[in-house]
Amino acid sequence: MLTLVYRLIVLLMIVFVLWDLWREKDWRGQATASLVLIPLILRFLLIK
Amino acid sequence: MKKHHLSALLNCAFLVVVIILSGKSFMAMHEQPPIYPGPGVTEIRMLSEYYPDLKNTAGDTEVYVLQGKNPGGSMLVLGGTHANEPAGYIAGVVMIENLQLEEGTLFVIPQANRSAFTHSDPQEGAPQEFTIETAGGVRWFRYGSRATNPVDQWPDPDVYIHQSGQKLSGSETRNLNRAYPGRSDSTLTEKVAYGIMQLIREEEIDVSIDLHEASPEYPVINAIVAHERANELAAMSMMYLQFEDLNYALELSPTNFHGLSHREWGDYSNTNAILMETANPIQGRLRGKTTTEMIMTGKDACYVEAARLNRLYVDFDENGHPLEERVGRHIAGIRSIAETFAELNPERGMQLEGLPSVENLQAQGIGTYLHSPEL
Repeated sequence: MLTLVYRLIVLLMIVFVLWDLWREKDWRGQATASLVLIPLILRFLLIK
Repeated sequence: MKKHHLSALLNCAFLVVVIILSGKSFMAMHEQPPIYPGPGVTEIRMLSEYYPDLKNTAGDTEVYVLQGKNPGGSMLVLGGTHANEPAGYIAGVVMIENLQLEEGTLFVIPQANRSAFTHSDPQEGAPQEFTIETAGGVRWFRYGSRATNPVDQWPDPDVYIHQSGQKLSGSETRNLNRAYPGRSDSTLTEKVAYGIMQLIREEEIDVSIDLHEASPEYPVINAIVAHERANELAAMSMMYLQFEDLNYALELSPTNFHGLSHREWGDYSNTNAILMETANPIQGRLRGKTTTEMIMTGKDACYVEAARLNRLYVDFDENGHPLEERVGRHIAGIRSIAETFAELNPERGMQLEGLPSVENLQAQGIGTYLHSPEL
């Protein structure tokens, strides 16, 4: 149950960061959002 | 489509590539190298046979049983309690692939904390694997972490409160050698500890040995740590080892330091609990560049300097402490303890045949005593 809640929180963060990435106009801000997403997605998939 | 949406899509494509590449690298850690059981292995069990809740979990691990031709005493050897201490793990593999018993029964668990072999410690620059040349090709072995993979057990508490009430830092909750005697309704690490305790109790193991390595600046090094029940056995074994020019320090297991194998195995079963340590620079805080070669050669210029400044608890020169020496010391210790136990308990004898000496290992290399990889 704890893992499920944790993954839902991470998923929510991924959606928000992806939304910011889509709306961001500066490519440097987009690259920053991409880098933030890497560990979040690996964590959501329970790979690392 | 707006220009910034196009660059966002390009960023997402980059993201997917990085996730796939890094994900594959992390997932590859779950692949474990094969072990080729020698003629002495009579049965391969899983730890979950002693504690069924471990079945299909990351904590389940192989237990190799070597039944002697004649009945006698029983011994358990654990390697890989800490997956970043390869001498214990490799000593277990060498025993599984070479050892034959005339008398008694041996249980070997080469990867005691299996989950710890599926990741490496962050910020240590640790390699994911290392290789050993054999007569028929190169064998690879996993280099893991001191603790259970946090993917398998999380979150760490701020403070790890052992069942005795002892308080340790939160990350120690994933350290198998702080988890004994374990609990059946607790974390994965404590369940593994409980499974090993069940094995010791159900098989009525006479002698249990936990193989470790430590950094050269750690005081308990090249040492045998014994529970008070095993003190005489360890002292006599150490004396016999000194006749072979193998010097060990004898340490009595502290009664107020809980969770460790040499303390809790002895307190929660009738076994003679012993832990052995060798010197391994790759674990040390004073080391230079962390490389795969360091695992094998045990050489490090920074430790040579530290030895010159008298900061270490073990001799350290340009020759280092190669894996052959470290594995050889563990095997010599196990052989000596088995022979001494048989001397003290003639009706519970254990006769181990086919194990290499330190001199054999150093002269011929560990690969001589490992099965060639099956292609």
